[in-house]
Amino acid sequence: MATAPTRTLPLFRTGWRRLRRRPLQYVLFVLGVALGVAMMVSIDLASGSARRAFQLSTDTIAGKTTHRLLGGATGVSQAFYVQLRRELGYERAAPIVEGIVTAPAVGEQALRLVGVDPFAEPPFRDYLNADDGALSLAPFLTEPNAVILSAEMAERVGLAPGDDLALIFAGERIPARVVGLIQTEDEITRRGLDNLLFTDIGHAQAIFRQPGTLSYIDLIADDEADLAPIRAILPAGVRLETAEARGNAVQQMANAFELNLTAMSLLALVVGMFLIYNTVTFSVVQRRSLFGVLRALGVTARQLGLLILAEAAFLGAIGASLGVGLGVVLGQGMVRLVTQTINDLYFVVNVQQVTVPAATLIRGLVIGIGAAVVASLPPALEAARTAPASGLRRSTLESKARRLLPWLIVAWLGLSAFGALLLWLPGVSLLITFTGLFAVLIAFALLTPPITLWLMERLAPVGGRFLGPLGRLAPRDISRSLSRTSVAIAALMTAVSVIIGVSIMIGSFRGTVETWLAATLRADLYISPPAASATRVEGTIRDDIVAEVAAWPGVTEAVTARNVSVLAPAFGREVDLLAVSGDIARDNRPYLWAEDDGRRLWSRLLAGEGVIISEPLLNREGLDLPPAPITLMTPDGPRAFPVLAVFYDYASDQGTIWMGSERYRALWNDEAISTIAAFVTPDTDVDETARAMQAAFAGRQELSVSSNRGLRNASLDLFDRTFAVTAALQLLATVVAFIGVLSALLSLQLERERELGVLRATGMTLSQLWRLTLLETGLMGALAGLLAMPTGYVLAWILIYVINVRSFGWTLQMRLEPGTFAQAFLVALAAALLAGIYPSLRLGRTVIATAIRQE
Amino acid sequence: MSKQPIVTLRNLSKAFQEGRQRRLVLSGVTATFQAGEFIVLLGRSGSGKSTLLNLISGIEVPDAGEIVVDGVNVTRLRDQERTLFRRDRTGFVFQFFNLIPTLTVLENITLPQELAGRDRRRVEEGAMALLAEVGLADRRDAFPDRLSGGEQQRVAIARALAHDPLLVLADEPTGNLDEETGAAVLQLLLKMTRRAGKTLLMATHSPEVVPYADAVFHIQDGLLVPDGVPAIHAANGQAGQPIPSGQPA
Repeated sequence: MATAPTRTLPLFRTGWRRLRRRPLQYVLFVLGVALGVAMMVSIDLASGSARRAFQLSTDTIAGKTTHRLLGGATGVSQAFYVQLRRELGYERAAPIVEGIVTAPAVGEQALRLVGVDPFAEPPFRDYLNADDGALSLAPFLTEPNAVILSAEMAERVGLAPGDDLALIFAGERIPARVVGLIQTEDEITRRGLDNLLFTDIGHAQAIFRQPGTLSYIDLIADDEADLAPIRAILPAGVRLETAEARGNAVQQMANAFELNLTAMSLLALVVGMFLIYNTVTFSVVQRRSLFGVLRALGVTARQLGLLILAEAAFLGAIGASLGVGLGVVLGQGMVRLVTQTINDLYFVVNVQQVTVPAATLIRGLVIGIGAAVVASLPPALEAARTAPASGLRRSTLESKARRLLPWLIVAWLGLSAFGALLLWLPGVSLLITFTGLFAVLIAFALLTPPITLWLMERLAPVGGRFLGPLGRLAPRDISRSLSRTSVAIAALMTAVSVIIGVSIMIGSFRGTVETWLAATLRADLYISPPAASATRVEGTIRDDIVAEVAAWPGVTEAVTARNVSVLAPAFGREVDLLAVSGDIARDNRPYLWAEDDGRRLWSRLLAGEGVIISEPLLNREGLDLPPAPITLMTPDGPRAFPVLAVFYDYASDQGTIWMGSERYRALWNDEAISTIAAFVTPDTDVDETARAMQAAFAGRQELSVSSNRGLRNASLDLFDRTFAVTAALQLLATVVAFIGVLSALLSLQLERERELGVLRATGMTLSQLWRLTLLETGLMGALAGLLAMPTGYVLAWILIYVINVRSFGWTLQMRLEPGTFAQAFLVALAAALLAGIYPSLRLGRTVIATAIRQE
Repeated sequence: MSKQPIVTLRNLSKAFQEGRQRRLVLSGVTATFQAGEFIVLLGRSGSGKSTLLNLISGIEVPDAGEIVVDGVNVTRLRDQERTLFRRDRTGFVFQFFNLIPTLTVLENITLPQELAGRDRRRVEEGAMALLAEVGLADRRDAFPDRLSGGEQQRVAIARALAHDPLLVLADEPTGNLDEETGAAVLQLLLKMTRRAGKTLLMATHSPEVVPYADAVFHIQDGLLVPDGVPAIHAANGQAGQPIPSGQPA
């Protein structure tokens, strides 16, 4: 028999009319999708904007550079550059000295000051070679302190050629004068030039106090053959890299941080999917008789299924579009939080504008619509299976749901085991680890319906005994509509467990950091040059000031440290090396492992017998315990250092190596000091000494002199700032869950309008109706809160012992605060009770006669 | 025994808004129903029978006029007072049974009294007696979805009588049952209300019950028209006999 053509349009008309009759249900659906997508898009935009701003800036500085010669801790010797040009005759090489400065005239933002050699520049950076006379690097040769910047940036900060401005590096003010503006038509270059200042290389060397050394040498090479002669004379400690490698390496530092944010942002969408599933199931059950009639009239199963999916896709598209718009707006605020953390922890980047790439928007739309369609698949299949005329009975759906319960327990076991396996697998990517986390979370959600049924069946007689018919009705109503109530409970449980999990993680993290700070920061005063970044020291302290601090009245010991980055060839990257003259923790520092149980550890370290490394380095590089000697690139070539101990460190997730200062100085020939920690006599007033020191150094170098307490507080402020984004994401996930519960309760109560009408007709007062509704929603909230506790604990365990270790290499001590659980329980209860208010109000207004007439 | 008026309706009007149109369902209805009688309200679907029952029970409020039930002016009660009046003075039997699906048979019957805060044990004793009377004592712990339509309506009758109401209102109580079951249910309802001395006000469109009524009213064009004493009463010399045929459903 030939298949007759089918038209779906009349079906969509029924869908559209329903949508117009019950708009609130669909508004909540759209809102759920919108918020989930908005969170994802905003995080995507914020991380992406920071990444692109850094990339643009890096690319702009690189220009046509193909390769780069980099040194270790102290850069590349200028003599090597001279050798390159004179002996090898390599013309396409340009020396660069760069660093981060601030300029009060421009505001608080960090600027990248790039020192260039005007003679070497022509082949490299086109924008510095404009031939229209508007700009020339010639003033660099005649004008001391000359700087140039892009015309756009000059206009933004109100600078013009001839204007003077002060640059600040490591607390020292350096005069500068704007001698020209870079005009470029190219939009990408223009944006890349934002926050860049160019000056003569000699001037830059003076500012950054690195006479005779370069940050790196840019090269243009057509092929490997061009580079061969350079490789032949490459001094020890200098390496040749492609131009992109450096930027990539820097950006990779923030990868784990960004992935953690993305995973958090996805949570709202997962919670939102429960909401979508609930709304669509409700819409299918509500239309069960209509579908039965339609099937009897010849509508195919496929058409019905498609109708539901098309409705979901349509609403998903509206929600996703709104979400994308909202995400772009949220992204503006989020970018500030995200770049602040990236600046604090990883690298300096300024984001003047949030770039909105089409890919992010499309991804938001696709994921939003996709989530709506996927969550609607089960109810769509249910609708498609509707038998002609009889329709899908609610009781049929419920009995199907009940038959599923044993399978849900099996699925819980299976998914938990799968999640545990993914989390246990060593050496897998963070993405797989997060998949494991989500699997465990969803597994717990699957366990919600059986537990709900089990508990409610037992609660009904108890409730009846103590609260009368209302106490019996409420739990029975919950178990009777299990297919919907349990989804709402699962959604709320998921969101609240995330609150518990993340709160325990943050609380444990904060507690661990507090204990760690108390143990390790034992000196009384900390002196360092102010820096654009909160966790990295840039620049050095003047020698005269170092000497003055050591001789300051009341100071018993001044421990100095020098912060540099050195190449660790085995790791394929640079690591932070700290050359220390003593232990500021006075032997209170906790160690993960120490050779000989830490006996004579510091005397051995200071004697140059080896190095000690931080726990994040051990975890990040997958080193064994005890670790094998670590090879570092010294100016004399690679050298292996035995590892004497592994210390806990929460200041950096990139890993740090400590070495005795004497050994460092001998190997790197670098006498500079980055920070000083001073111990004072017990009768010395620390705050007064800090003020006196600051006053004494003023004019020479503006240094930050902090007391022990001040530094601890600043560290904890930094900690709180880092988790501000997480808190924002957590809040949004709860809002989505709240909408989910509201939507589910609204659906349930609307569905029970007739039954509640009968209750009212048989004498239930309005206050009893309120009590019944709130008892039901309260029970659902309380159950969600209770189930969220073990789930939240497991989530916290995974976040602390798996995700954190794999992302950042930190071991945290789990701290369980009863308050966290109580608070989360109250959040669940309050959310459910609040969500019950509107349905109660609505039911209170329901005309009893209409309700009981419905059939 | 002189009969006492239990329900008095004075100039009762009720209209509904349907889209832009206002449909007048009851227009100046005036009538008196006597205590202990079986009163039948006849009328076509949509004539306003159910509306009149709803107004008497306080489920709905009239646009104009007064309703006095056993001396209580229902139209002057506030919402909460109407609810309590309904709970304590009336029993309702619906066409679609309207049992609460999450309550057992026994719990459905005790519900109005439990809502009124009465002692559960005593309430259950009374409810069990009624259940025995409707022939469902062995189904006390069953949930409504396990019962047939006739059984459900028998539970609904027990529920309507359990709290000893003055007035039993029945809205098409057999409308959703087959003929035989309907007759059995009707017989039970009449037997039980008669025995308890209750006033039964039944809305129906089926004239088969007319021979057994004490009073019959037609609702037509918004008016309540008395139909006089049915012929069967004159023949038997007694009013309100139970319907002779039919088995318990």
